[in-house]
Amino acid sequence: MDGIHDMGGMHGFGPVAPEPDEPVFHAPWEGRTFGMMLVTGAVGLRSGSLRPRIEALPPAVYLASSYYERWAAAVEASLVDEGTLAVDEIEARAATSGAEPTRSEGTSPELVAAIPRFLDSPQPTSGVPVASAFAVGDRVTVRRMAPEGHHRCPRYVRGATGTVTHIAGGWPHPGDDTPEAVCTVRFTMSDLWGADAEPGDLHVDLWERYLA
Amino acid sequence: MTTTGEGHDADDARDAHDLDGTRGHHAAPPSAIERRVAAIESLLVEKGLITSDAVDAVVAAYEHDIGPLNGARVVARAWVDDDYRRRLLADGTAAIGELGYGGAEGEHLVVVENTPEVHNLVVCTLCSCYPWPVLGLPPRWYKSFAYRARAVREPRAVMAEFGTTVPDDVEVRVWDSSAEVRYLVLPLRPPGTAGMGEAELAGLVTRDHMIGVVR
Repeated sequence: MDGIHDMGGMHGFGPVAPEPDEPVFHAPWEGRTFGMMLVTGAVGLRSGSLRPRIEALPPAVYLASSYYERWAAAVEASLVDEGTLAVDEIEARAATSGAEPTRSEGTSPELVAAIPRFLDSPQPTSGVPVASAFAVGDRVTVRRMAPEGHHRCPRYVRGATGTVTHIAGGWPHPGDDTPEAVCTVRFTMSDLWGADAEPGDLHVDLWERYLA
Repeated sequence: MTTTGEGHDADDARDAHDLDGTRGHHAAPPSAIERRVAAIESLLVEKGLITSDAVDAVVAAYEHDIGPLNGARVVARAWVDDDYRRRLLADGTAAIGELGYGGAEGEHLVVVENTPEVHNLVVCTLCSCYPWPVLGLPPRWYKSFAYRARAVREPRAVMAEFGTTVPDDVEVRVWDSSAEVRYLVLPLRPPGTAGMGEAELAGLVTRDHMIGVVR
């Protein structure tokens, strides 16, 4: 969907503000949100990508929410969609809950052992070789479109013409099962932002369905 | 630099609020989001669907084990071993795997090399895609609306906010990680480091070099 999440090129958000000595998580609930995201996905308590659910937040909510607030909302929505939890019970519990969750007496040694293997061990390279309609060096133009479903084609490249620099590999497009070629396309900054753009160029990875 | 009141982002607003003392870290009543996240975890635990130690293990992995030092070791190896550098640029995932790194959000890693003629900068405009196995979880500024909006349109202006000036005759290349590839910048080896060993070199490499906001 063409939502508020598609921010490339927008004005009005102010300067970038680095934080010295930033912690990984700024409060315990951020870490618990992140951990629950991975654990509930690993044991099948929710399904599907969180991205479409984050993008489906109403624009005003998206803008007013912090990063992990958006994740928490998406984790909750995916648990509810899967029937794991109901909104009513979450709301009832939140009304009386403190900041500390219940600690389980039981443990999951197998899952705990699997976590470093999943997060912190070499894996085979993803992406499979697939035939592509385009070759390195081809000039391609990003299609004009207004897709309602989840996609990964930023608005700011639509209608622009660039050059294929790599065929990154084949992956299923969101919502599909069959791998499709993803092309890395190089655009000249002035072709994206006009004659007074900063010099330089920009690469975007685009499923070939976005290209002509 | 300070975060307070500068960015136009809910994360920054939270900080400003905290520093005002209107929402203290522990003394004040729990916030709505703290209660809601605790409610979800409590329900999952009480129903026997998950255990606390599994969530603890994920948090600990990123707080203690997976961070920019992994990427710094990759960079230092590339600086001292030219064959490794070539393998790294040809197949980032495999070469990074040689050092024992890989996993979620690192399934297809591409390393882009800074040279005297080229400077690379990585962003994700649509969300906050980031190479977790080599850099850990992204800092707030990388996830901020300001960075996502501006890095693709005015990368030099953004880099200037980090104190970075890229010479006019150097080509700036921005990489918007919009699909499945996650990008890591291989920075230039600093001058005057010829006598340094790999571990010492790794100590010179920061997260910001490997995103590209620092050259």
